[in-house]
Amino acid sequence: MEETKQLLKGNYAIAQAAINAGCECYFGYPITPQTEIGEYLSEKMYELNRGYVCAESELAAINMVIGAVSTGAKAMTSSSSCAVALMQEALSYACSDELPVVLVNVMRAGPGLGYIYPAQGDYNQTVYGGGNGDYKLTVLAPSTVQECIDLTYKAFYLAQKYRNPTVLLADGLLGQMMEPAVFGEYPYPEIDNSSWALTGAKGRAGRRIRSLAPDENEQIIHVEKLFEKYEIIANETTEWEEFGCEDADVILVAFGSMTRNIKAAMRVLRKEGLKVGVFRPITLSPFPDKRLNELADKCEKFIVVEMNMGQMIRDVKLAVNGKSSVDLINRPVGQWLSVEEITDGVKKIVLEKIHAGV
Amino acid sequence: MQVFKIPNSIKKGSMYTFCSGCDHGIAVRLAAELIDELNLKEKTICTTSIGCSVFLYDFLDVDCIEAPHGRAMAEATGVKRARPDKFVFTYQGDGDFASIGLAESTHAALRGENLTGICINNTTYGMTGGQLGPTTILGQKTTTSPMGRFKETYGYPVKIAEHIALCEGTAYSARVALDTITHINEAKKALKKAYQVQLDGLGYGFVEILSTCPTNWKMTPEEAHERVRNELIPVFPLGVYKDITA
Amino acid sequence: MAHIVIDENRCKSCFICLSTCPKGLIKKSDKVSKLGDNLVEFVDNAGECVGCAMCAKRCPDMAIVEVHR
Repeated sequence: MEETKQLLKGNYAIAQAAINAGCECYFGYPITPQTEIGEYLSEKMYELNRGYVCAESELAAINMVIGAVSTGAKAMTSSSSCAVALMQEALSYACSDELPVVLVNVMRAGPGLGYIYPAQGDYNQTVYGGGNGDYKLTVLAPSTVQECIDLTYKAFYLAQKYRNPTVLLADGLLGQMMEPAVFGEYPYPEIDNSSWALTGAKGRAGRRIRSLAPDENEQIIHVEKLFEKYEIIANETTEWEEFGCEDADVILVAFGSMTRNIKAAMRVLRKEGLKVGVFRPITLSPFPDKRLNELADKCEKFIVVEMNMGQMIRDVKLAVNGKSSVDLINRPVGQWLSVEEITDGVKKIVLEKIHAGV
Repeated sequence: MQVFKIPNSIKKGSMYTFCSGCDHGIAVRLAAELIDELNLKEKTICTTSIGCSVFLYDFLDVDCIEAPHGRAMAEATGVKRARPDKFVFTYQGDGDFASIGLAESTHAALRGENLTGICINNTTYGMTGGQLGPTTILGQKTTTSPMGRFKETYGYPVKIAEHIALCEGTAYSARVALDTITHINEAKKALKKAYQVQLDGLGYGFVEILSTCPTNWKMTPEEAHERVRNELIPVFPLGVYKDITA
Repeated sequence: MAHIVIDENRCKSCFICLSTCPKGLIKKSDKVSKLGDNLVEFVDNAGECVGCAMCAKRCPDMAIVEVHR
């Protein structure tokens, strides 16, 4: 029988999806706007006899996840912007140690404490990393509650498959809004981790999960190996969504919840005769730069729409590599950009370009 | 009859990289002997820390994971919650356990995690060259307290074993030393107890080991042991501070 | 007969064993270790060692690798 749609809040959708994905342990510390994830799981994980700890801090929470996944268990934590900042050291360790950590970041406004409004100011923190050294997280950005479920499943799978920390980058808007969605079943195969997980040195030598590399050559070999893996991840998992880009004069680029209004803006502008396309990276890391570069052969104008001062725009500029103009419509914090603000912004930019003769 | 040998759970052919005369070596050996005696090698997962203690995984032939500085108890909590049937212990210095990691150490004890914590207290940050640490005693000169630790500027040292004993989830907390044969024997007994409370599911087992750092104390190993006796033990009295099985 | 075995590769010349042996059977040797300091040697011509293992228990480097009684 087909599962009927339920009206679900994003945070609850993520939490239940984690349970369905087989998450054996959750460790977390409260922070708005994602606290419902920890609240929901505190009851459910107890009922299911799975691990749950109200951690003393985000530092502890992410390191508890590292401990749990090192044994081969699936585990996750969730947090929000300024508290995810506390986890950056551990994420760097987890990348170096190649551990399948899953982190949900329901973004809020910043910098500093900021406030609980939705925002997208963690693009740089997540994609470029706030931790030390050369590493890359795998980053997935949902735009609907349904995708909160689907991409949570995917985050667990990709983390396990590539042994790389994977972040679900949502924002306060998605965490707090309700939409109809279905859970379905966890659609991915289970990954065998018996070759590396810490299970006790039975019939084999003791295993080490470590990032210390006192030998310079050892360090070089290790980082090169990591980057070979990131290349494989890029080839196999890069995902995006595009509408009307083939004939577009202007392509709007957004991620996460901002995608919702650029789609509406596209419909309005197309009705008014402006050929607008929409491009939305689903994986922010790896970034779909090859496809954007192809599109830049045909389209001269890209406009990035984001809830920050312009973070993803740098990746779009790198991707189009000077072939097209790249402009920004943005708002740093708080309320998202309305359809009208986007359409007005697009028209203004397009008109300016016409006047300027470009 | 052979009455002493290198424990089986010490990696074959491994050599300690500790400085000459450093008591870390004895602490690691005691930890390893007990893994052998209690037949724990196949179910042990150890989290190591940052500092001189980080090299533990080069010597111990058990599964090990390295924690970021101060986070060993958090990682150990994660390991134990995911795999409650494993024997999980941390091996940390005083800086790791009681300075940067005091929150993790304390809360693991408060939660009564079934974990064993071993903390080597040598009153200084050894690996970085002897700076003032959380356990540096009043009057002690270090590279960051060249006039000696005076309370007006530097505050007071932390009494770790007493602090952990105050946590309700702690099953066992003791402070031992390694300066004499008697103390080494007592240290092993304390460690065994801290292992056993975990195995019996009674809660958090903890042993603080007063250790030497001859290199940074600028002493011979013998002088360093004299200092443990004459200066450290009066400040950090040896003994069992909590034992719920007693 | 009670005796100990010293692994000279492990010895770091801290000389804790010298003062630990109740019978004074461990002495500085003329041999030099790879670290450049004198090694120690076990000299028990009169068969005084009882295999108490105190030297091994106090050696921080497990350089006294065997004790026989």
